[in-house]
Amino acid sequence: MSARDRIESGLRRLVAASWAERLGLSFAALVASVLVGGLIVFFSGTAATCQEPAYGVFGLTSCYNPISVYSVLVTGAFGSILSDPFNFNVALTLKETTLLIFTGLSVAVAFRAGLFNIGSQGQLIFGGLASAITVLTAGPLLTGVGGFLLVPLGILAGALGGAFYGAVPGALKAYAGANEVITTIMLNFVAEQVAFFVVSAYFAAPDSQSVETSQIPPAAVLESALFGSGSDFSIVAFVGGLVLVAGLYYLIKYTAFGFDLRTSGLQPEAARFGGVDAKRTIVSSMALSGAFAGIGGAVWVLMVLGRFQTGVPALGFDGITVSILAGNNPLGVVPAALLFGVLKSGSLAVQLSTGVPIQLVGVLRGLIILFVAMPEFFRLLGKRFVTTDREPAVATDGGEQTPTEPPSTGGDAGDSGGER
Amino acid sequence: MSVGRLRSALDGGDLRRGLAYGLAALVVLAALYGLVFPETMAGDLLRLATSESTLGAALRLAVPIACAAVGGIFAEKAGVINIGLEGLLIISAFTGVFVTDAVGSVFSIPGIWVGFVAGVLASTLLSLLFAVVCIKFRADQIIAGLAVWLIALGLAPFAATVVYGSVNTSSVGTLGTWTIPVLSELPFVGPVLFDASPTVYLMFLVVGGGWYVLNRTSFGRHVRASGENPKALDTAGVDVTRVRYLAITLSGVLSGIGGVGLSLGQVGQFIGNGQTMVNGKGFIAIVAYLFGNYNPLGAFGASVLFAGLDALQLRLQQIPAYAVPSSLVQTIPYVTVIVVLALVGHTRVPSAAGDHYESGED
Repeated sequence: MSARDRIESGLRRLVAASWAERLGLSFAALVASVLVGGLIVFFSGTAATCQEPAYGVFGLTSCYNPISVYSVLVTGAFGSILSDPFNFNVALTLKETTLLIFTGLSVAVAFRAGLFNIGSQGQLIFGGLASAITVLTAGPLLTGVGGFLLVPLGILAGALGGAFYGAVPGALKAYAGANEVITTIMLNFVAEQVAFFVVSAYFAAPDSQSVETSQIPPAAVLESALFGSGSDFSIVAFVGGLVLVAGLYYLIKYTAFGFDLRTSGLQPEAARFGGVDAKRTIVSSMALSGAFAGIGGAVWVLMVLGRFQTGVPALGFDGITVSILAGNNPLGVVPAALLFGVLKSGSLAVQLSTGVPIQLVGVLRGLIILFVAMPEFFRLLGKRFVTTDREPAVATDGGEQTPTEPPSTGGDAGDSGGER
Repeated sequence: MSVGRLRSALDGGDLRRGLAYGLAALVVLAALYGLVFPETMAGDLLRLATSESTLGAALRLAVPIACAAVGGIFAEKAGVINIGLEGLLIISAFTGVFVTDAVGSVFSIPGIWVGFVAGVLASTLLSLLFAVVCIKFRADQIIAGLAVWLIALGLAPFAATVVYGSVNTSSVGTLGTWTIPVLSELPFVGPVLFDASPTVYLMFLVVGGGWYVLNRTSFGRHVRASGENPKALDTAGVDVTRVRYLAITLSGVLSGIGGVGLSLGQVGQFIGNGQTMVNGKGFIAIVAYLFGNYNPLGAFGASVLFAGLDALQLRLQQIPAYAVPSSLVQTIPYVTVIVVLALVGHTRVPSAAGDHYESGED
């Protein structure tokens, strides 16, 4: 049995043993976040000002009732889905879901390679900008039948822009040892400012108050079929996202590149002995990660706004939560993105009818990551209520989760899980 | 790949020293050029960079970075990488303003100082949560740190919107400046060093005190051992877990001073749109202490360098003659951080940093 086979079978065992636990962990983390989020909503409501308190318990009155907040959130995200499955609320939820699939995949592919790409936000900005500039430039040249080329061209430009912007911190990491967490965060700030400069100096819409490009040509817009026009949701983009999910799953699981990527994430030392070119893998994984985020940016331009605008929503940061919730598994990204899409679109209804600000999503985004990061918490909690005499479970973070050390410290990943 | 070859030729310490000398030489050259040709851009830059107001601003802007950096040194030296410094700065910056506004003076202590203490307390509590999550629940330190950042990034604008109806709070005024009688009369250094915000004095205290505690006290020795060789420390009868809890909590206290130093010391309100008013200063602090090789004094130097660039770009924006696009100028500090990190990337990380330590007896 070659070293490569041995690594491969070891990996398979780890992944198989842990996926059910990963699912349980994500679910438990979600419940815990919802509970803590409810407490935060209640207590913040005691400081808010309102006509009459909505909820009181133990003599404390709050302007917000956490239970009704969550029920409004769910109904707000789906609308009257039974009588009208193509209603506006569903479109809004799916629109957010689609965008989050791309950023979730972006973060997931980097995590699987043992890299913390916090820069999906910047890569999304760069991809979106590249996409908008490309279709704006190519629009007048490609008229008539050629117009069909605009959408693929815009997506391609987005992917390339994002890939470039992801490859930069990858190269800095591979060849200069610069920690990618810090460089990608710094590059997020740089991307924001550069996009502001490029748009305001060269592509500003003539008579606009905000810093944005002109409308992209109509042929480049991803049309909202099925759902009413103005819903800004294109089923084509959603299906495209699903295809990418399947593609990435195949790539990671069945190709040589995927093997290199997984082993560098789980066992960097073993990967090196197995003949993986670590530096090239880092750069190409980061470029691939950036490409996904860049496509997300392109879809945001072509489907949602129809132009590029500065002040891009924090889709890249949401992608971190989506990926972590999905156990960094491409297939898990779809339900995780849907869940987060529900949160995002439902929070609009929450703000309208209960007054709890939409920033609540940001709070939940962080809480979910916190809880997924501590499987030990749920294990201890479980022990308190259930006495089992079977062996403690194998590593919950083996296989699917990220390495337990930043790669810069040179230690090998995945060895601090609770394997006995 | 020339960078790689360069690095293999020099070890980390030499490279860092070389980089520092190189930067210094560049600055001296530019300054000389500016002195000889005062009519050029270099001349203008020299006048700007050495003006009292720019230097004063650099010190003020260095407060959050330097305080968080010294805090980060303690955590990482003890073996826990605290990448959530940014979150600690955000939460303390907001809480400081909110409590100043909502509570007001208590026992005749001015409201703004009540807010100051509350802000530091908020950051301390959040760091304690981080400590529990990392130590008791054995979470991945990087992911837990990111969670601390993202929670604060969500919570502060959320709370501001609940209370003030917008992600920004209302203005509560600043701590003002403390003028030290005779010393502030000194030419040049007087107005910069001795007529400053109280948070600037506090920063000097944090940096000097941090250096002393880390290098000259038994607690400092324990912190360093906890990061380098926890097993030995354990064998010597010192509770590694306790040292790590203390070190992380200390990083929360110090970052708290930095966060309130930003909101109450300089701006007088909390600004919560985008990345909030903290705007990456917590992550810059991490690079500052890496550049400063885990030495509080070195970290302070790096903080002043990054803050100085920020102060300079703020001033540069006000000169219409150059018409440098302000959005590009604003990237200078961030790009510098990336360049510094790329050049000193391989720092001597405490060998047990990032590892969970389990004492044998439980």
